[in-house]
Amino acid sequence: MTLVAERLFMSFGGLLALDGVSLTVPDGGVVGLIGTNGAGKSTVLKAVSGLLRPHRGEIRLRGRPIHHLPAHAVLAAGVAHCPEGRRLFAGMTVEENLRLGGHLRRDRHVAKDMARVYDLFPVLGERRTQRAGLFSGGEQQMLAIGRALMARPALLMFDEPTMGLSPIMIRRILDTIALLRNQGTTILMVEQNALAALMLADHGYVIDLGRTTMSGPGTDLLADPRVRAAYLG
Amino acid sequence: MTSSFVRDRPVTEAPSRREPRPAWRSAPGAALVLLGALSPWASAVIPGGAYPGLATLQFFDAPYLVTGFRLHLLLLGLAALLPRASRAAGAGAAVIALVHIAFLAALGVLSFGGPVTLAGGALLIWLGRREPAPEWKLPSRALAWPILVAAFAALLWAVSAMLTAGGQSRATNPHGGAEFLSFLGFAVGLFGILSAYGVLSWLSALAERHRAFSLTVLLACAMLLPLTEAGTGYWMTVASTIGIYAATAIGLNIVVGLAGLLDLGYVAFLGIGAFTAANLAHVVSFPVAALAGAVVAGLLGVVVGAPTLRVRGDYLAIVTLAFGEIFFRAAQNDIGGLTGGANSIPGIPPITLFGQGFDQPVGGLPAGFLYYALTVLLVAGTMAVLANLKHSRTGRAWLAIREDEDVARAMGVRTGRAKILAFLVGATLAGLAGAVFAHKLGTVGYESFDFSESVTLLAAVILGGMGTVPGALVGASLLFVLPEKLREFSDYRLMLFGLALILIMRFRPKGLVSS
Repeated sequence: MTLVAERLFMSFGGLLALDGVSLTVPDGGVVGLIGTNGAGKSTVLKAVSGLLRPHRGEIRLRGRPIHHLPAHAVLAAGVAHCPEGRRLFAGMTVEENLRLGGHLRRDRHVAKDMARVYDLFPVLGERRTQRAGLFSGGEQQMLAIGRALMARPALLMFDEPTMGLSPIMIRRILDTIALLRNQGTTILMVEQNALAALMLADHGYVIDLGRTTMSGPGTDLLADPRVRAAYLG
Repeated sequence: MTSSFVRDRPVTEAPSRREPRPAWRSAPGAALVLLGALSPWASAVIPGGAYPGLATLQFFDAPYLVTGFRLHLLLLGLAALLPRASRAAGAGAAVIALVHIAFLAALGVLSFGGPVTLAGGALLIWLGRREPAPEWKLPSRALAWPILVAAFAALLWAVSAMLTAGGQSRATNPHGGAEFLSFLGFAVGLFGILSAYGVLSWLSALAERHRAFSLTVLLACAMLLPLTEAGTGYWMTVASTIGIYAATAIGLNIVVGLAGLLDLGYVAFLGIGAFTAANLAHVVSFPVAALAGAVVAGLLGVVVGAPTLRVRGDYLAIVTLAFGEIFFRAAQNDIGGLTGGANSIPGIPPITLFGQGFDQPVGGLPAGFLYYALTVLLVAGTMAVLANLKHSRTGRAWLAIREDEDVARAMGVRTGRAKILAFLVGATLAGLAGAVFAHKLGTVGYESFDFSESVTLLAAVILGGMGTVPGALVGASLLFVLPEKLREFSDYRLMLFGLALILIMRFRPKGLVSS
């Protein structure tokens, strides 16, 4: 198992955000988290990446506990977080953004990985000296993915990667995630677009009010009448 | 897989639908400016002596002999005939005209040439062409070096002229403030014309390519300032004071410009360095005192930085403001007996090196040259620190924090450590500048470190261009020269100062030197 999270609890000012969420991400798999707004999906990702600290519960990456580590140590352990709303460094160039993605790395393969990102998204290579803030939503999402890849993560987490994108761009981003999966990357993604998430995911979790209410293979959840009624319309 | 990827089209700018305006449209404006330059300006003999450039009724003695601001107008009027230059030249002429109209009106004298020139300037701005600057190819090395030397020599001349424009004081020249502002207008026009033709960006690209050579020549030019018109003890003192503030502002640029930490109490570190050096002045030599000032200030920087890690933005600004105020009040009340309170600490000996006092003239050079040279080295040193940090891993981490602290954390930036480091480096540089400050002035009192100084330093950073290497130097020069030059406007001084800031931020929102 790449990631195991067990019974996570967290509250913000008395408001319970996570009420015992548990989930596992197998090696090389894509796991999707779906649920309504405010269900606690993003909070799970932030707890995993160390940006927030769960009050109770345990998170293990390849068997090693990481829930007590600060964010930079979690990243060093191999978890990259591609945050909601892309959150690029808008005033910096493509290259500077990518360089920051690999900020913790001190090995000599950073340039090679950057070239790999440019291979994956040629448009980024063409515009590597331009400021990220000038890019369209889809291009920004590509850069956000590229930036997360620069850390060479064991687990790549996406928070709403298709939010606010055009249908063509949504397709393109989902294709990229599928491509990354086929190349063997382990992925945990949060997605409002439940249909897309479950089509792509090997395994899905439905989160509601800070709890895991259902889980199963993506196709099973897609077929489940309760999921269809609540999240697919 | 790749086949389903949509190829992205590069974004191209929509072609401008407006036809470029024909060049002749700048002719009427240019003609008015030229007419204004060759007209008498004041309707009566004005009090306080001859107005510059034969502008008063004595004009009729030699109507075509123009000097001073009217020579500037003549040059701008001729330059306005060049198609791209007309807007910038018009703006320069308008500023010059406004300055003199206002000055003459304040004396109760009507201006003839002023309104004509102003109309010409407005016409030029209105009808002039606005086009992107052309790009020029960079020359070969054989040509590049002489060009760079010439450019830096011209810069030296400009700095010297700017510094000395309007003379030393009200006593020697009653029109000094107006002359200085008018010269500033000419400079605005000149730099505008150069940038409209892409000369400035061409030169900076050239300097960037021959970096080491440019820096050497620039340093040499700075050291040659005493050989220009500014080579008197007075101007050397003014220039070295500016240099000390510039070095401090560059340190602040690391904190604010790179790491994005809004520090409103920064001048306290200059004070800490100055008081440390002042207390040690009779005990140890200058280098040791300077080092001590830097170290003590740096440590206090960490002390201030550490508890502010949990506050951001506005809240951080308030905490630093409080720190500055605590330092100011503590120094005022002589807490610990280290600051002398209201008596300040007098009698700090000047720096001596090989028996040569830094306040004495050396060779044929004016007194104060040695302090000037020291501050040039100080500024060059702090700029080198800034430039190196900016392009380092640490610098990238700072810029990331400035842009988005949460994401910086997600990228593995250790934000707490990076922020403390920014406070440490910034405070150390200010402390070093403070030590020079103490020895140069000979007296250190708490009044030099009040809130308004922090604000001025911050304004210097923002005005010059946040995070840019030369920005803080340009900003500090302007902000510490302006009050000196506007002294004769007494009551209106702060108003004019504020007006200048507003105008700069209106027309150069990213600072005079934008990245």
